[in-house]
Amino acid sequence: MGKKKSVALIILVTVVLLGLLFISVTPAFYVNATQRFTSLISIFDLGSDLGGGYSVVYYPEGVITAEEYAGLVAQYEETKGTEDETADPAGQYTAHKGIYLSEELMDGENVTETFRTEFENAFRAICERFENKNFTDYTVKLQDDYTVYVEIPNVERNETVSSLFAMFAYGGSLTFTDGASNEMIASRETVKGASVVDAGDGGYAIKIDFTKEGRSAFSTLTGDMVSAAGDSGTATMYIRVGDNDLVSNGIQVNEQLDQNSIYISGSYTTRESAETVVCVINSVLSEDNQFNLSLDASQIYSYGPTMGENAGLIVACIVGVCILAMLVYSLVRYKGMGLAHVYGFLTYALALVLCIALLDGITVSMAGVAAIVLSAAVMVGFNFFAFKNIRDEFYTGKTLTAAIKSGYKKSLALTIDSHIVLFLLSLVVYLIAVGSAQYMALIFMLGTVISAACTLAVTRFYLYMFLAQPKNKIAFCNLKREETEDE
Amino acid sequence: MSKLLSKKVLFLCLAIGLAVIIAGAVLAGVLGYNADSTMKDYTAVEVSDLAYASRSEAVQDQLRDFCRGEIEKEYKVTQYEYFENNSTGGATLRFTVNGTVDAAFCDSLEAAVAGAGIEGVTSDLVTVTYHIAENAPYYDFVWRTAVGLCVAFVILFVYMAIRYRLGMGAVALLAAVHDAAVVLALVAILRIPSGVALAGVAAFVVFLSAALNLFVFGRMRKNFRSEEFKNSPAEDTVSLSVREMKGTVLAVAVGIAVAVILLGVAGAVIGFDMTCLMIAALFGVLVTVYSSLILSPSLYALIRKKSDAIRAEKAKYNYVSDKKKDKAEKPAETVTEA
Repeated sequence: MGKKKSVALIILVTVVLLGLLFISVTPAFYVNATQRFTSLISIFDLGSDLGGGYSVVYYPEGVITAEEYAGLVAQYEETKGTEDETADPAGQYTAHKGIYLSEELMDGENVTETFRTEFENAFRAICERFENKNFTDYTVKLQDDYTVYVEIPNVERNETVSSLFAMFAYGGSLTFTDGASNEMIASRETVKGASVVDAGDGGYAIKIDFTKEGRSAFSTLTGDMVSAAGDSGTATMYIRVGDNDLVSNGIQVNEQLDQNSIYISGSYTTRESAETVVCVINSVLSEDNQFNLSLDASQIYSYGPTMGENAGLIVACIVGVCILAMLVYSLVRYKGMGLAHVYGFLTYALALVLCIALLDGITVSMAGVAAIVLSAAVMVGFNFFAFKNIRDEFYTGKTLTAAIKSGYKKSLALTIDSHIVLFLLSLVVYLIAVGSAQYMALIFMLGTVISAACTLAVTRFYLYMFLAQPKNKIAFCNLKREETEDE
Repeated sequence: MSKLLSKKVLFLCLAIGLAVIIAGAVLAGVLGYNADSTMKDYTAVEVSDLAYASRSEAVQDQLRDFCRGEIEKEYKVTQYEYFENNSTGGATLRFTVNGTVDAAFCDSLEAAVAGAGIEGVTSDLVTVTYHIAENAPYYDFVWRTAVGLCVAFVILFVYMAIRYRLGMGAVALLAAVHDAAVVLALVAILRIPSGVALAGVAAFVVFLSAALNLFVFGRMRKNFRSEEFKNSPAEDTVSLSVREMKGTVLAVAVGIAVAVILLGVAGAVIGFDMTCLMIAALFGVLVTVYSSLILSPSLYALIRKKSDAIRAEKAKYNYVSDKKKDKAEKPAETVTEA
């Protein structure tokens, strides 16, 4: 590479890397009165351990909080003796741990068997729905025997938290209906399941697959709906779980639908919002998860990172310090080769930050941080391994250019093998596992792919780019030729 | 040959590993893992303040400190959490405690808070209650991660067996299983609090184990193929390969360990859960370094020695069978001559 070409490339690469570094890690600031600059790192989706999230307590109908009870008592005290006197809450509710149970739910000193069974079904269904939603981390707890406490990560950017909590509380069975006499109650015999599909520009769609029996029943239903619609020929079909509409305003049906699957699109701009509906549909197909209980999920609270206050920021700072120390070490130890490594590593790190920030469905939790640290260490390890081989080759008496070529050649097989193995392992874990292991594997998989590219090509390219500049290339690479005495 | 690669050391390593795994499995089976703050069953005293967001920071701190002080007179507070209701401006201060709380204590605390003279805090706005919560198990998280890791083990074995040697594949598989199992067992034995992120740590250990073992096996493959080591004993070649790759393996491991230790130290300041997770990850780093530099090479050296011996036995010229062959051929020749 010529010197001029090298200078131009160094300037270009440096400007691009500095630009990317700026948009990746600069703290947020206001550009003007209305616009705010936000760095790529700050738009990472974080798990509840690093970024906090939302919690809710599901109260079944007839179960109230201590605050509500206190309110009823205050109201009773206020209206006592007046004509607006309200009922004494002491006669209407029984205290049970931290909650109050309506007398309607009680059979003597215990709750009724019906309520107990319905609540058990509700608890099981809620557990399954949150588990299938596949958060990085979440908590479902049975609180005070008859309420359900749930904590989830902050998903506000992808879907509305209140509607997620509300939808996961839907009880009853899945019904396709026109709101009048035509309806089809779905079960495992008629519906195989639901899934999310990409609908192109229209966002995401929900695909519901029917069994043979279900297809025939759905065909009859849509035929009847269209017939009942009269002259307009267009009927509105509502998809409900219990009394709740899963698709607001229903879907328009203008012909008999005789097909294996139906696609519902239009309302889902993010995959996550469609997944929520899919979780509910798949859950209610099993009779064990159907319950006839109204659950209130109105009291939604936000909470801070479970790993501690400002956990995300502190973790980012520590990882940053470690990276800085490693870069300084590589510069001191390998000089010119270290400089190529610094550029190579920055390219790797910025590419990874771009992927995590801009690709859908990546959430960073503490396990994800471990994946980032691991893939970074693997990248550094293979670069240092290549440098060691270059050094060994140089000491055998080869020229620097030949040593670099030969050193990289010697490390090629192991570098490729290792990256392929690590990629395959992370791919398998990503495809099969759920939760923190899955998100960790996804981040590690991305890191491995970028690491392979940066180790095999980018760092080597940077090394050639920098080697065009110095007069004493050997000293630039911190190499020394052993002195030999001439005869 | 390095002393660390001897048969004795290998059997000692395997015995220790097996003992740790069995002890961990028994403890995890009987007692389960020690849950961290997110997964723990708890009893908590909750102070709800309907006007919390409108209070000054000083008043908020005063309310929190007063409640904590009053609760600590009766119970040990193990954790404090703060929940904000974004729509109403109210908040709940949750104090997780050790012990059995009752309604009478909540009533007395409520009265004390109302009478504490904290600016704007009245009994109309503040309610004290208690909750007992029991965590629901994570079936899918556990078994799907386990299946994922099992398939990963198989992939590791198949790739290594094809690209390297069957013995190397078997050893890499054993090392990965050993590392993940030992780390999970140590977490169970030492009762380190852990949550759902432990599944991520298990995956982290498997990936790291594969990476470090690949470094060593890569060099072994190269050395075994070279003419220089063709006539050397297997142990010497394995030992030399380990020596050559020790620096790279340690560089990777030290880099990760430094980050893990710093995160663990930060966790001690901001939240103990992070420290616990990082302790588990640090065990992972230590165990994988040990397995890649000691366990796997010594096991592979043994396998290689055996396979070399079998190959040498097969390659030996068998004089006895030649004599037998001659004898068998002679009568046939006689008959022909007659």
